[in-house]
Amino acid sequence: MREEQQPILIEKFSTTRRTFLKLLIGIITLFIGLILGIPFIQALIVSKFKKAKLAWYKVAEVDSLPVDQPVRLNFFARTDDAYRHETTVHSVWAVKHSAYEVTVFSPICTHLGCYYKWDAGTNHFECPCHGSVFSIDGKVLGGPAPRPLDTLPARIDNRVLFVVWEQFKVGVAEKVAV
Amino acid sequence: MLSQIWHWLNERWPFSTLIHLALDEEIPGGSRFTYTLGSALLTVFMLQAVTGIMQLFYYVPTVDHAYDSVNFLRTKIPFGWLINGLHYWGANAMIILIALHISRVFIWGAYKHPRELTWLFGISLLLIVIALSFTGGPLSWDQKAYWEAEVGTSIPGSIPVLGDTIKRIMRGGEEMGQLTLSRLFIVHTAILPATLIVLIGAHLIAFRRSGSVGPWNEAQGEIKGQFWPDQVFKDALIGTLIILALITLAVFAPKPFNGAADPLDSSFVPKPEWNFLFLYEAIKFFPGRLEPIGAVGVPQVLVLLLVLLPFLDRGPERNPLKRPVAMACGILFWGAIVALTIAGYYSKPAAGEAPTPPSLVPRVTTFSTTAQSGAQLFPSQGCIGCHRVNNTGGTIGPDLSGEGLSGRSRDWLTIQIRNPKAHFPNTVMPTFASLSDKEVNDLVDYLLSLKSGISPSSAQISNKPSAPKPSSESPTNVPAQTSQTTSSPSQKQIGPAADIIGNADRGAELFKNQCSLCHGPMGTDKIPNPGSDDGIVPALNPIDRELFSKNPEEFAENIDKFIQHGSTPSGPNTQLKMPAFGDTNSLTQQQIANVEAYVLRLNGVNRSELINPGITPRRFFFIVVPAVILILLVLGGIYRCLP
Repeated sequence: MREEQQPILIEKFSTTRRTFLKLLIGIITLFIGLILGIPFIQALIVSKFKKAKLAWYKVAEVDSLPVDQPVRLNFFARTDDAYRHETTVHSVWAVKHSAYEVTVFSPICTHLGCYYKWDAGTNHFECPCHGSVFSIDGKVLGGPAPRPLDTLPARIDNRVLFVVWEQFKVGVAEKVAV
Repeated sequence: MLSQIWHWLNERWPFSTLIHLALDEEIPGGSRFTYTLGSALLTVFMLQAVTGIMQLFYYVPTVDHAYDSVNFLRTKIPFGWLINGLHYWGANAMIILIALHISRVFIWGAYKHPRELTWLFGISLLLIVIALSFTGGPLSWDQKAYWEAEVGTSIPGSIPVLGDTIKRIMRGGEEMGQLTLSRLFIVHTAILPATLIVLIGAHLIAFRRSGSVGPWNEAQGEIKGQFWPDQVFKDALIGTLIILALITLAVFAPKPFNGAADPLDSSFVPKPEWNFLFLYEAIKFFPGRLEPIGAVGVPQVLVLLLVLLPFLDRGPERNPLKRPVAMACGILFWGAIVALTIAGYYSKPAAGEAPTPPSLVPRVTTFSTTAQSGAQLFPSQGCIGCHRVNNTGGTIGPDLSGEGLSGRSRDWLTIQIRNPKAHFPNTVMPTFASLSDKEVNDLVDYLLSLKSGISPSSAQISNKPSAPKPSSESPTNVPAQTSQTTSSPSQKQIGPAADIIGNADRGAELFKNQCSLCHGPMGTDKIPNPGSDDGIVPALNPIDRELFSKNPEEFAENIDKFIQHGSTPSGPNTQLKMPAFGDTNSLTQQQIANVEAYVLRLNGVNRSELINPGITPRRFFFIVVPAVILILLVLGGIYRCLP
C-alpha cells in the first residue's frame, strides 16, 4: 500500500528532506567503502608471517676452506616463498680464521639488496649496484651501505660448517631479521 | 573555491553534463524498491571486479600452484577469507539477482516496444555472467572445480561434427591440463569482464533512451518521481543490505576446502554448481546418443526463447493480469528450471558418467616382470602386514604361499583385491581402490606365481623360509624406501602433500580403506602388532605427543614423513609395517593431503585453519553488521524527524 501512495508523497518532499537524502546516500556509500576498503588495503599490506623454524644447513667441510680468504659457498635450503615450498640453492660468503672459527656473511648487500662480489685485487667486497665497499671482516669502507655486512649464525660440528639461512632488512642502520 | 575548481574542470571536460545525463531522470509513478534490482546487480558486479582484482594479487593460474595460491590467500593473508568469500558468494548473488531482474522486467512487460534492444543487451549480460560463473569455478583447481571443468568442457565436445574442435579450443588440447587452466583464466579475468563492461554500458544507454517503463497502470505513471536522489537512495539501501548478506555468507558459510585437483582420483563424484544443476538434470532425459540434444540443445532452446521474446510477444498490453499466455509461459519456464534444479540437487550422476582416470597404463602382459613388480607391491601396499608368504608376514589373513595352486581365477583375485567384501561380506581386508589396474594386475600375477613357496623374487622380498632373524640383521623384506626403524622417516624429506590443504572428509574415506585396519576405525584402537617393541600399532587419536602440534602446517609435516616413506616399528620380528604410501605412489599426494587433514581433525586441529585472518570472521561480522544497521537506523530516525 505504501508503494502506491508514494507518487503523491514524492510531490510533498521538502527540500530539506531531499538534501538529507543526498547526504544519506553519501554516508552509506562512504561507510560501506570503509568497511570493505580497510580490509582490502590490509590484505595488500600483508602483515608479517610467523617465522618458520630456522634450520641448520650443512655448507662445507671446514678443512676444505682456505684461511683468511673469502669463499662463496652454495648449498641447498628449503625456501618458503608464499605458497611455494621448494628446496633451492642459497649462497653465503665464508671467511675461515682457523679450524674452529669461521665467519659467515649473508651474500646480500646491506644497502639495497644486491649480491656483492669479492675483489681479489683490492681484497675488498664490492657491490656492483651502487659501489658499496666492505672489508674482509664486513666493515663498510665506502659507498652508501648503512651498516656492515650481515653475519649469519654458524657452528662447526665435526669439522663440518653449518649455517642458518636468514635474511635481514636492507637500507637501515640496524640489523633486523625479516 | 570548490565551485571554481568545478567550473575549471567543466570547461575542459563535461563532468556536469554526464552526471546530469546519468542521474537526472524522471521515473513514472515514482521510485520503488522493485526497481532496485538492476543497480543491485551493478553494485555486486563492482564488488566482483574489486574482489577479483584483489585475488589477482595472489592467484597464479598454474596447475601446480593454483590451489595452493588460493588457500594461501584464504588462510594467510589478512582478510583473504573475506575477499575470496565475497567473490564466491557475489558470483552466486549475480545469478540470483539476474533471475529476479529478468523476472521483474518480464512481469512488467518492460521488454516490449521500444525496449527490445535493452532486453537483448540484458540477455547477453545473462549469458556473459553464466560464462563467468562457468570459467570462474575451476580457477581454484580443487577437486570439485577440476571435475566441473572436465565435465563442462566435455559437454560441448558431444556436439556432432564441431564438438571435438570446440572442446579442443576450450581445453587447449585433447586433455585437461595447464592450457585449460590458462584459457579459463584469461577468459574469466580479461575477455568476459571487458565484454561485460561494454554490454553494461550499452544496456544502460538503451535504458536511458526510453526511460523507466513505470507502472502498467497508466494513470499511476502520470505522477513523476526523481531518480536522484529518491531512487538512488533505495538502490543504495538495497545494495548495502546485499553486501551485508554477502559478508554474512562469507563468515558463516565459507566455501569448503575441497582438496587439490587430482585427475587420478576417479572416486570423486562431480556435481555442478547449483546454477548448472537444471542442465545436469535435463541431460538425463536424453540418454545415450541423444545426450548432445539435452546437453547443448536444451540451453540453446532456452536462450532462443529469451532472445525471441520481445518479437514473439508484441502486444502493447503490460498488465500481467491481462497477459495470461505470456505469464503462463513465463511460469512454466521458471517452474521447469526450478524443478530441474531441485531434482538435480537431490539426484546422483547418471550411470556411466563417472569419468575414468585419463592416464591408466595399459595392461602389461609380460609375465615375469609383472609378477616381479607385484612382488614389490605386496610388501609396499601393506599386504604383508596381514598375509604370510614363505614364512614372512602377518597372520591376520590367510597364508598366501601357495595361492597359485589354489585354483582361484585371475578375475576372482582381482575382485578380492578391489572389493574383498564381494566375496566375504564380513572380511576385515581393506578395499584397495586406489591401486591402478596395472598394479592390481601385477599383484595378481605375483599371487598366481606363488606355487609351493617359490616366488619369482623370493631372494629380494622374503626371508629364508626357516629361522626368522631379527629384522635389524636380516635382509630387508620390504623395499628399500621403507625404513628399518621408527626414527628414519623423520630424517627423510617431507613430501609435497604436507604443503597442500587437504579435505578431511575425503581423507576420512581414504582412512577407512587404507589405514583403519591397522590404526582402528577412528585411529583410536590399539591393534596388536606382534614382534614389535611396543606390541601395538601406534594410535593416531590421540597421536604421539612428539608428532602433535597446534600449528596445522607443522602437524602435517610431522606425520607426512611417515605416510610418504612408511616406517617399520622397532622390534625383534615386527609383523605390521607402515607402508610407504607416497614413495610407492599407492596414494597420490592430494590423497595423502586429505588423509593428513583427517588425522589432524581426529586430534582437534583444523588443517584449513585461518592462520592470519586479519580479524577473525565472526568478530568482523559482529563489528561490522551491527555498526551498519545502527547507522542506518540513526539516519532513518533523523530522516523521519525532518520537516
